[in-house]
Amino acid sequence: MTQLASAAALKSVMANYFSALGQAARDRSAPVAWCTSVGPAELLRALGFQVFFPENHAAMLGASRRANHVMPRAHALGYSQDICSYLTSDIGAFRAGETPLATYGLTEVPKADVLVFNTNQCRDVRDWFEWYGRRWGVPVVGVRSPRYVDEVREADVDGVTVQLEALVAPLEQVAGRRLDPTALSEAVRLSRRLSDLWGACLDTATHRPAPLTFFDGTVHMGPAVVLRGAPEACDYYEVLLEELESRAGARHAAIPGEAFRVFWDGMPIWGRLRALGSLFEEFHTAVVASTYCNSWVFAALDPAEPFRSMARASLELFIVRSEEPKERYLERMARFYQVDGLIFHDCRTCPNNSNTRYGMPQRLGDRLGLPTLVLDGDVNDLRCFSDEQARTNVEGFVELLADRGATARGSR
Amino acid sequence: MATTELGLVTAGVDVGTEYVKAVVVAEDRRILGRASVPTRGYFQDRAYEALRAALEDARAGEADLAVIGATGFAPDRVPHAATRLAESVCHAAGAWHHVRGRMTLVVLGGHEPQVIAVGSDGTPRNIQRVRRCAVGVGSFLMFAARHLDVHPTRLQDLASAATAAASVSSYCSVFSGTGILERLRDGASLEDVALGSMRSIAERVVEIGDLDPPVVAAGGVAEYFPGVLRAIESLAGVSVVAAPDPIYTAAHGAALLVRPS
Repeated sequence: MTQLASAAALKSVMANYFSALGQAARDRSAPVAWCTSVGPAELLRALGFQVFFPENHAAMLGASRRANHVMPRAHALGYSQDICSYLTSDIGAFRAGETPLATYGLTEVPKADVLVFNTNQCRDVRDWFEWYGRRWGVPVVGVRSPRYVDEVREADVDGVTVQLEALVAPLEQVAGRRLDPTALSEAVRLSRRLSDLWGACLDTATHRPAPLTFFDGTVHMGPAVVLRGAPEACDYYEVLLEELESRAGARHAAIPGEAFRVFWDGMPIWGRLRALGSLFEEFHTAVVASTYCNSWVFAALDPAEPFRSMARASLELFIVRSEEPKERYLERMARFYQVDGLIFHDCRTCPNNSNTRYGMPQRLGDRLGLPTLVLDGDVNDLRCFSDEQARTNVEGFVELLADRGATARGSR
Repeated sequence: MATTELGLVTAGVDVGTEYVKAVVVAEDRRILGRASVPTRGYFQDRAYEALRAALEDARAGEADLAVIGATGFAPDRVPHAATRLAESVCHAAGAWHHVRGRMTLVVLGGHEPQVIAVGSDGTPRNIQRVRRCAVGVGSFLMFAARHLDVHPTRLQDLASAATAAASVSSYCSVFSGTGILERLRDGASLEDVALGSMRSIAERVVEIGDLDPPVVAAGGVAEYFPGVLRAIESLAGVSVVAAPDPIYTAAHGAALLVRPS
């Protein structure tokens, strides 16, 4: 895999983000809010908070392969090995006095003045935040979202909108300022712009050969996660989009000799991103797209009605939906990216983002006429992942794709 | 009737998954004799064999025995045992005999690791265990020794010469065993795999619960694999001291607990 030139700009954007956070926590120049990855970041930005995303921090622990060293510290508190390994990694790291933010000059995670969750993705985020809330004696507020949503109904949007509006008063109290509606609209506008740019970047993978893979996406999605509502993220994605379009125009392949294209559903396996990227490259297989990277594309955001559109965006999210809309979405994605097969990651500690346990791979495979592969693993707990098993499974899967290709060519 | 000058003695038999241990104590609580035999074949045969050997070590006979306390994995298989005792209670009593104060007792036998908060009176206040799929820690180390082609008692020497622990970590003993084979196939040194195996056990212990000092370790793993204790120290940031003759802690505790008051 050749690294994208935009990686240098990415490093700079992320370094500035963490530096500002660290400074705010140190000299109290701005209040610090912790926010779940698809929580109401725009509202927090509009109120002047520096916003920290512990899921991003946990992913860094996974990617740096420190997660398994620190998780036992959280298990020792009674947080099970079966629950979110983001949660156990992050709390374990806190107890061990470790953080990968040291790379950015932070000796510890920035202490929160308030923690804001949205349970649209899972209950674990709330339990996670409440641990810190109890420890620091700071408020934990959030949205208790409907889950397994079929069609997004106006009644559901109403319910979440009311909850988002109810957050304003307690957050104003922590921020020490009133919410400026214009600032909120601007944050939502920037967030929507960011979302559109990020979506356009991901869409370049429809080209043959694809100029980026899922593995590139997991790295370059950083600003889309942590800088929603901030202008610098838009600037970054304009640079990235230009590079990707240029690559696509020049038929520059992310995977040289791209022979097969597959879709990845589920969480990344952070500690094995490089290994898996190399494995697929060895088999000339481009993992062109994923539900994960596309989860930070919020088409519903609308600065004209910030609260309502934030509510709708949070409910339209893939992870919040029931099986049927998820399957429809995956069908659309499979056709849009013209994939030859689908890989489902059965993420041991994240049942909410594993779509393998109620027959979906079989149903979709039959309906689309495409091979599917279920990979056992975990987002952070590498005890649940076997390199050997993954290699054997991917090898067999690619052989299947090759056989189908040969059959299809023979029948023409 | 007593056949020696010892007076009536009591015995504790701990039927473990790897070894059966027996301890004989005098009325004044002194250890008079002890013995262990590998757990193979019928439990009752090995329990009897260990008991006989411990009595012989104590220079006592069966007629000197006032009572037998049985504990461990198969206490019901100890012939003539008057009392069946919980393993954690026996471990706590055995360790308390030496420490004489409150402690966190880490039990590392062949089967199920436990972390026991022992009160100042020697009784357990709280007992935490690993979950079902992580049992068999001692047996796992025996498996490791077999695949590293050393006698189990040499596994510690091997680990001492490691440069870095090879990753064999899993919360499932079976998967950890597979991890050993995979690391060997990948070319990891025997030394690094030996250390990785010990670290894997330590990780499972640390996640059971917080280890409040003083921390004392008992069980066969503490006896033969002190590297596991060092790994626990490194992970949990606390000092861990092995109880004297830690493989006998539960048998000793059983013998003490069944003494006629």
